[in-house]
Amino acid sequence: MSSTSIVPVLIACGSAVAGPLLAAGAVQLRCWRDTPRWPAVAGLVVSLVSGVAVWALWNIRGAAIEYGPRLGGGAMLHVDGVTAVLLPFVAACLVAVIGTTPRRALDVRGTAWFLSGAAATCGLFLTAHPLLIVALAVAAALPVWRATRDEPGGRPAARVFAITIVPSLCCLAIGTAMMLADPPWDPGSGWIGALGGWLVAVAVLIREGVVPFHFWFPALFAGAPFHVSLLATVPQVGSYAAVRLLIGHADGVPNELVALAQLAPVTAVYGGALALVQRDLRRLIGYLAFSQSALVLAGLAGTLPMELAGGLTLWVASGLSLTGIGVVAAALEGRAGPLRLDLPQGRFWDAPALAGFFLLFGLATIGLPGTLSFVADDLIIAGSLAEHLHGGILVILATVFSGIAVMRGWFGIFGGPMIIDAPRHAILPRERIVMAVLLATVVGLGIVPGPLVRTLEQAATTLLSKRHDALFPGTERLPGVPDHEP
Amino acid sequence: MNLTSIHDLVALLVVAQLAAPTLALLAIGIPLVVGRPLGEQTTSGLVGGSFAIAFVAAVVTLVVLAGRGFTPEIVHLGTWFAVGHHEATIDLVADGLSVPYVCFSTGLCLLVNAFARKYLHREPGFTRFFVLLVLFGLGMNLMVLAGSIDVLFAGWEFIGISSMLLIGFFHERANAVQAAVRAFVTYRICDAGILAAGVVIHMAVGSGDFDKLFHGAWPQADCLVSSSTAAIISLLLIFAALGKTAQVPFSGWLPRAMEGPTPSSAIFYGALSIHAGAYVLLRCEPLLDAAPTVGWVLVVIGGGTALHAALVGRVQTDLKSMLAYGSMMQAGLIFVEIGLGLRVIPLVHVVSHAILRSLQLLRSPSALHDRHALAAALGGQPGNARPWLSRLPEAWQAALYRVALDRGYEEMAVMRFIVEPFRGIVSRIDAAERAWIDWLGEVRLRR
Repeated sequence: MSSTSIVPVLIACGSAVAGPLLAAGAVQLRCWRDTPRWPAVAGLVVSLVSGVAVWALWNIRGAAIEYGPRLGGGAMLHVDGVTAVLLPFVAACLVAVIGTTPRRALDVRGTAWFLSGAAATCGLFLTAHPLLIVALAVAAALPVWRATRDEPGGRPAARVFAITIVPSLCCLAIGTAMMLADPPWDPGSGWIGALGGWLVAVAVLIREGVVPFHFWFPALFAGAPFHVSLLATVPQVGSYAAVRLLIGHADGVPNELVALAQLAPVTAVYGGALALVQRDLRRLIGYLAFSQSALVLAGLAGTLPMELAGGLTLWVASGLSLTGIGVVAAALEGRAGPLRLDLPQGRFWDAPALAGFFLLFGLATIGLPGTLSFVADDLIIAGSLAEHLHGGILVILATVFSGIAVMRGWFGIFGGPMIIDAPRHAILPRERIVMAVLLATVVGLGIVPGPLVRTLEQAATTLLSKRHDALFPGTERLPGVPDHEP
Repeated sequence: MNLTSIHDLVALLVVAQLAAPTLALLAIGIPLVVGRPLGEQTTSGLVGGSFAIAFVAAVVTLVVLAGRGFTPEIVHLGTWFAVGHHEATIDLVADGLSVPYVCFSTGLCLLVNAFARKYLHREPGFTRFFVLLVLFGLGMNLMVLAGSIDVLFAGWEFIGISSMLLIGFFHERANAVQAAVRAFVTYRICDAGILAAGVVIHMAVGSGDFDKLFHGAWPQADCLVSSSTAAIISLLLIFAALGKTAQVPFSGWLPRAMEGPTPSSAIFYGALSIHAGAYVLLRCEPLLDAAPTVGWVLVVIGGGTALHAALVGRVQTDLKSMLAYGSMMQAGLIFVEIGLGLRVIPLVHVVSHAILRSLQLLRSPSALHDRHALAAALGGQPGNARPWLSRLPEAWQAALYRVALDRGYEEMAVMRFIVEPFRGIVSRIDAAERAWIDWLGEVRLRR
């Protein structure tokens, strides 16, 4: 790529990271006295606009964009179909989260940490360089830990998060170093590279909450502020690391991917089943979140184009829907305090608009036709059933359990006798705008999923071509899988 | 008129049957989302208008098709999404099954809309009811006109969601909430059948289109897949139908579903939703023909359900529950008819039963008044026919009475052998996880 045509890409990518970083500085310097919300929103909107610009520039170019030094097959700046879709998605989710977080949950330090984490996450989604991925994964985890620790009563959750994430980051760092030292995708690679691949796989399993490393999800949701929990889980940093370090080098780590593909559907079912018996809303969302992220991983680790495309689509779909549920839950909790599910809480009377939004986001999470999750579920189930019967059955079971858990949660919060004397909690205009836009995105992409699915299919086939070579050397490629990356 | 212009006309009419409720849903839903709900008159007018347009379009389609001997017209609206060879197409079909059925369903929706606008006047959930009614109407039309399993599944889901939300319409009542959750659990479990059937169809013929699965005019279409594939798909569809049509062992939700408002009970559990499973089986009848042994599964389930409902319905102490068991019994008999290989008779049975039952349910709030009016007209209480069960020995009657009071032990068995063991295991795992997390965090988390 010529230096002149790379400039807009560099500007867009730089703005995506610099926006939240500068906003964090502005918040820390208390440039806005009344609330840190507006600089935070401004910084993240810059990220969102930059993300859309990156997507547009990638579309115009029609091929992957790379810049900077390469290591282990990955460039410092790498924009392909995965990045072009996921960067604006992550930025949009974070704008929605920060735009609706209740005022009392937005203190200066916590917001600055949130924005630092957002900047690191956006940066992570722009690179394929292994060392940068490790550094940015650390940089994305640290603010979550600090913001949780600073939350009153949040220390135990921060401790659980640290106990699980530190080993994950260590595995990621050591495994990546070993893979770089002895690339497993090179012929004649030894045990060092193979062990490195397994360490990275373990790091991904922990970061994505795959059983038995899942417990940090419900712990974090129970103890951290909602916006911090969503920052830690919605972007799915672990899945991104898997895409760049494992799926992108599948010829060296086919067995690791098989392990991910087998464990992820079991986790999805496990999370859905545990979500059924939760007694408070926060833990319910925690279990749903890792069940959904496991489904994403199940799709990504598959060997068929529709599985991989389904995984990428579900990444976006479940992220948007869970963000929606999270922001509604945060808004409700900001008004009514902790929400239990063991007895109907009767909140419909208090907050009918929030009830409507919770219901719609909940239905979007469980694959209501007309939403993006329906498309994603369809692709993942079809792909899983075509590949392994048991995998497909587990994915169907997971969707059944998650669906029941979501509706049980909805009726638990909003059903039940009304409290006549209770104040009615009207939805705020900014909450309504953010939730309506988020909902319109989920529904719009569900009704017209073609362009998004085509983009993700293109990204999936590029990744799969490498995977296919590894699993079936000497055989013909799958239909639709191109020979070379564009 | 030449063939192309007739096809275009049918396509236009079929699209109108879906577009009208969709536009009404958007017209009511968008103001609701932005916090400016429409008034009662406008809301019910929009819903009624959309059903009227769909009904007229369906009747015109029926006339056009009847003039051509009900030759099926496939309307291809494009591909929803595609990955590799996996395509979700938006195909609709207008034939001798779908078009009469959509006339009947939109006509009933229109009548219930007219009833409900008075019945629910000044009810706090007036707009919510009509949103769900029009969503149901859209789901019904999608399911009935579906020419592919993907479209059918979309309609099927809309019916399930609207049904569940209308059962829990009076959300301040604990019973309504429990009944809604119970219905949704049943739907969701059984929906796995239709989901899996869709995937099997895609794998078998490379597409979800029905015209690749069977070919020809209903009810004499030919199956295009092997008998083993047909048997698998049929069994999965039957499993899906068991939930929506409240067949044993998934019938427990139906009497509880009467917690919803009367107009929704009438249209869902007296008329349309309760027969959705039967419609799907009628639509896929060539598969049942290709796998005749599967038909006997239907006969056994339907016969068992009919007996169960006939017995349990006799001891109900409220009218709506009794009518619910009446619906369940008729649905069971319709299953038996389909299992025996009949095609037109079950369709006639569905339509006639739906009309009668919805009328009974709509009149149920006035049942005492009606009985008093009848007694006044007769000059005394109307006599009751002596039930045949009273001719059995008293010990048998007592035993049957106990069985009926316990709803045939169906729910007890499901709870004891499936739900409670599952809940027990999951709860124990959850408790162990909490203990583990608490130990890791050193002190109890705040929640």
